[in-house]
Amino acid sequence: MTNLPSKPSVAQLPALHLRRVAKQYQMGGEKILALKSIDLEVPPRAFVAIRGPSGSGKSTLLNICGLIDHFDAGSYQLGDTDVGQLDERARTGIRRFRIGFIFQGYNLVPVMSVYDNVEYPLFLLGIGERERKARVRDMLAQVGLDAFANRLPDQLSGGQRQRVAIARALVKAPPLVVADEPTANLDTATAKQIIELMKNLGARFGSTFLIATHDERMVVHCDQVRHMVDGVLQ
Amino acid sequence: MKALLLAWKNVLRNRRRSLVTILIAAVGCAAILVASGFALHTYEMLIEGAVHEYGHITLAHPDFFDREEDSPLQFGVIGHEALMTRLAFDNRVVDILPRVSFSGLISNGDKSLVFLGTGADLLRESQNRGQFFGLVSGSIRIPADKKEGNIYALVGAALARSLGARPGDSLTLLATTTSGSLNAMDVEVSGLVSTGWEELDKRLVYIDVALAQRLLMTDRVSTLSVYLKKLKDVEGFRADLLATAPGLALRTWQQQAFYYLSVKSLYNRIFGLLGLIIAALVLFSVINTLAMAVVERTREIGTLRALGTYPAEIVAQFMREGFLIGLSGVILGNLLTGAIIWSLPYFALEMPPPPGRSEGYPLLVSASLPLYVVTNLLIILLCVGAAWAVSRRAARNPIVEALGHV
Repeated sequence: MTNLPSKPSVAQLPALHLRRVAKQYQMGGEKILALKSIDLEVPPRAFVAIRGPSGSGKSTLLNICGLIDHFDAGSYQLGDTDVGQLDERARTGIRRFRIGFIFQGYNLVPVMSVYDNVEYPLFLLGIGERERKARVRDMLAQVGLDAFANRLPDQLSGGQRQRVAIARALVKAPPLVVADEPTANLDTATAKQIIELMKNLGARFGSTFLIATHDERMVVHCDQVRHMVDGVLQ
Repeated sequence: MKALLLAWKNVLRNRRRSLVTILIAAVGCAAILVASGFALHTYEMLIEGAVHEYGHITLAHPDFFDREEDSPLQFGVIGHEALMTRLAFDNRVVDILPRVSFSGLISNGDKSLVFLGTGADLLRESQNRGQFFGLVSGSIRIPADKKEGNIYALVGAALARSLGARPGDSLTLLATTTSGSLNAMDVEVSGLVSTGWEELDKRLVYIDVALAQRLLMTDRVSTLSVYLKKLKDVEGFRADLLATAPGLALRTWQQQAFYYLSVKSLYNRIFGLLGLIIAALVLFSVINTLAMAVVERTREIGTLRALGTYPAEIVAQFMREGFLIGLSGVILGNLLTGAIIWSLPYFALEMPPPPGRSEGYPLLVSASLPLYVVTNLLIILLCVGAAWAVSRRAARNPIVEALGHV
């Protein structure tokens, strides 16, 4: 009798697994290969940095991992889901439930208060008002902005805005958080606070972080650092 | 509720632009309501005029409405008194007026002109026709004895002017009797009347119905005009009459009100076209405003899409904004319309006389619940539709492109 290998459970699967992913852009009449056969496996709860110069393809890779862009070749497994086969509606559903985003420019909705911005992802999940309120209050306390709940984004400093963005990304406790240059616009002290905050909250919610950065301050805190040059992950 | 609040905040992002759009929607709404209200008031006046002129229902000989008479009252109603007595018991009936239509020559001794005469109970005619029986000068006088004594007539103001006649003057009516012979009658002008129709006023003569019968040597009447308490009773009463008076032809006021029907048909087209133009202006204005908002918020749309918002939810958000713009527009538009309706009587504005008429009419605007409901819904739907049209494509743009929008 032969012992067959059992199917791995979801918890044992990598958070994300890209195999030979390629992406090509058309710019004018010229084809630009932004990603060349990328292989990337990120374990659950990892804090992974993608480093590289501007134009190396970091953001494109993050966009594909965050399901806001498509790849032309290869495969991408997010947890137990082969996302390459999904239509746009299903991809939106996965972003809604399983992915949080932190943008370099914060991308907060200017007419929404700090509270409303953080509440929005929970609103999309259809969570009841009482639970939404508790979770938003807790998250604002975690990022130290509970006193700023009713302020609008333009009444906050850059560091505070990024805290709001982190709270918005993590409030639904997503398995994956994609952060594109989250400390690029911040001074050293604020950047350090933001990195620690992401690390702590990531650990608390069990989220995997995939961060595009060329910030050395960020790199030292990461579990895994991958370098990207000309669309190739080294 | 939260989504509506967010939509309102988005509307207020560019206050000046939104205010201009809301004002355009409000003015558009008010313009449609005032123009339609004016048409409605005109229809109401014409209906009232037609009902007063013809009665709610006119009864006549079966051939009266369809054939030309070879001799006076050839198609007259015989034994109308019994029918009147019977109908008078119906609770829906206010009055029944017999009328004799006839024609002939009217003369002052020096000059003779053709007239169109009506024999009627002049006092009741005046009561039933109210403001539509315009006594210009003199008074309505009824002879104490209709077989002897003075015979009074009301003469059209334009006809009296042609004949140089004034109240108190004597004129002679010459008409063909039902047997074909000629008969003459001296009348005293007791008053001058105007119908507002210049051409009609040049021919108009009113005398008492019994005197008209005496002139024509008959006991028939041309028609019986039945006046009802309520306009809505017409169809029911007509159906009952068809059963109880099968030997007579019936016409409702609508079947005789040709002027009302042509004015209504004309106004419906004019004001319908006007409404379409206004609706198009509102639509383009809202499209312009929301298209600018969509372009300005392209990056935000990309962010919301990245967070897991479906394109339909983005479109719904813009539609809510369109709804709020439309709602604000109609609220302001209704207030503006109310102010116009309320203030118009104070200005006592007059419309010029329509073609063929000698008198103008007051510029007033009527209000009607169905008109307001339809107009308000139309404006709101236009705004919501405009929002749907401009946001549909933007919500489906590639997210990366939207996030890169500057």
